[in-house]
Amino acid sequence: MASVSFKNIEKSFGTTKVIHGIGFDIVDGEFVVLVGPSGCGKSTLLRMLAGLEEITGGTIAIDGRVVNDVESKDRDIAMVFQSYALYPHMTVADNMAFSLKLRKADAAMIAERVNRASKILNLDPYLKRFPRELSGGQRQRVAMGRAIVRDPKVFLFDEPLSNLDAKLRVAMRAEIKALHQRLKTTTVYVTHDQVEAMTMADRIVVMHDGRIEQIGTPLDLYDKPGNLFVAQFIGSPAMNVVNGTVRRATGRAHVEAAGAQWPLDGGPGADGQAVTYGIRPEHLTLAGSGGVPGEIIVVEPTGAETELLIKVGEEQVILRTHGRPHVNPDEKVHLTVDPANVHLFDRGTGARLTA
Amino acid sequence: MSLRKVTAEAKLLLIGIPVLIWTMLPIYHLFLFAISPKEQAMGGLLWPDHPTLHNFEVVFKQQHHYLNFFWLQMWNSLLIAVATGLITLMVATGAAFAISRLKVRGGRLAMNLALLTYFIPAAFLAVPMYKTMGVYGILNNQWSLILAMVTIATPYSIWVLKQASDKLPFELDEAAKIDGASPLQLFRLVYLPLMTPSLVAVGTYALLLAWNEYLYAFLLLSSERDITLGVALGNFLAADDSPWELLMTTGLLYALPPAAIYYTFKRYMVGGLTAGAVKS
Repeated sequence: MASVSFKNIEKSFGTTKVIHGIGFDIVDGEFVVLVGPSGCGKSTLLRMLAGLEEITGGTIAIDGRVVNDVESKDRDIAMVFQSYALYPHMTVADNMAFSLKLRKADAAMIAERVNRASKILNLDPYLKRFPRELSGGQRQRVAMGRAIVRDPKVFLFDEPLSNLDAKLRVAMRAEIKALHQRLKTTTVYVTHDQVEAMTMADRIVVMHDGRIEQIGTPLDLYDKPGNLFVAQFIGSPAMNVVNGTVRRATGRAHVEAAGAQWPLDGGPGADGQAVTYGIRPEHLTLAGSGGVPGEIIVVEPTGAETELLIKVGEEQVILRTHGRPHVNPDEKVHLTVDPANVHLFDRGTGARLTA
Repeated sequence: MSLRKVTAEAKLLLIGIPVLIWTMLPIYHLFLFAISPKEQAMGGLLWPDHPTLHNFEVVFKQQHHYLNFFWLQMWNSLLIAVATGLITLMVATGAAFAISRLKVRGGRLAMNLALLTYFIPAAFLAVPMYKTMGVYGILNNQWSLILAMVTIATPYSIWVLKQASDKLPFELDEAAKIDGASPLQLFRLVYLPLMTPSLVAVGTYALLLAWNEYLYAFLLLSSERDITLGVALGNFLAADDSPWELLMTTGLLYALPPAAIYYTFKRYMVGGLTAGAVKS
């Protein structure tokens, strides 16, 4: 187990700079998820930690030791790849034992470690099989087993669930989380799937265009997104946003946007300021009258919840409710908003406005 | 069977049967000569009146002055072919691994130069090669032929192996690297096992290329004790009254090892070893 620290990390491929000075620390035993859209640099950052990519600038330290010039094999890390990267010509047992054999560990110790890992991952019946004889989920577990037997300081996961179907992904998600709770090994996990990030992470690092947008616990990011990007990236369906202007001079405070008055409380936002008004789908409620007028476009029942796509002026918003409202497309409705749940962002910079 | 299927099959047979006859006829001819007595060999019969294995006896016992060194020459052919196959494999595998997996500088250039060699026909290079071997002082030494054949076989082999190794997922190398493998261990423990089908195919190619070579063997070797069986077969035609039945018998024997090699390694020619490595 170990801490990891990134200091002012930069990365260029040729003349293209893809990571612009990233720094953060991971404490011992923490499960940190790097999340962001494709091309945001999250995988590159992980690969630099793994020693598979040169570090252009800055330092990476594992347990206080700077590893910039340390070879992968001497960094005491283990990595699980998206494509599993199992050795096709070796059995499951040999795949897991490979790293220990290279390190010339004694046979008894190898057998014991492989045994323990296969017990943890329920791979016992498959030890003699070859990767081609396994299902996707089993292969992924072997890849994890290969990492476990090493007993490394840090686990690295590079989009490990992207190749699995939806149902298996949910199951493996829980398995990886349970594994971490059991082994308590420091883990860095890369994904583009914000649901994976939310459900698994102790802390999430949201990245975009080679920069960190925000670092925080999943619920922190959800409740207090630091900027418009994080607000829209975290949460599904995404936060509703409308561009408007703050009005505080007369009557009740509101934001004038999409031809309607969106309620505000006494928080941030000066009169006349151009803002982006954000409200999560579950914080919109239907009302008989008053509030923001709209028109139903689509009703999407999912069983437990119902999502309504609603047109307000020229904008569209999504409302999510636990009930099963009796509404139909084209019906006129009214939306109410609790001002306490409103997020305001500066229209120019996208930064969150705080009082 | 539907009419459509019948016509499709008929078309295949219509092409297949002539091709089969076209291919088999010379081989049958070879075989016919080999089992015919000398006086009937040129008789133009479809089957000899008295088939005999006498010709094989003459060849095996080296009872004709053209065949004084039959076994030695067979051995020469084999030695040169196997050596060519092995050395080509070593050179081409090393090159393909370095270029495809280690991404060494100048890899592209090396590949293009390798391709360039094929713009010049091998026959064109025969005389320069002869001069070169003379400079090295290994004319009439079997090494000259082995090295010449390696030179001719290697560029194509590098291309084939590089293409094949490009198809191996790169994550395997990265996984091995993190697992603690040095480049040599990666080569030995991961790369070679996965490349086996391609290696066998390329090795067989180089081996057969050397086995079937005539021009270079004829130029670079001259002593009857050094030449390959292929060249010895050519020497049969030096006289006016060539013993055709013995020539054909020897030819038949000469054709057997390649056939055996093809048959043995047939299953390696088909890939499929990498199935299951990554999700495709």
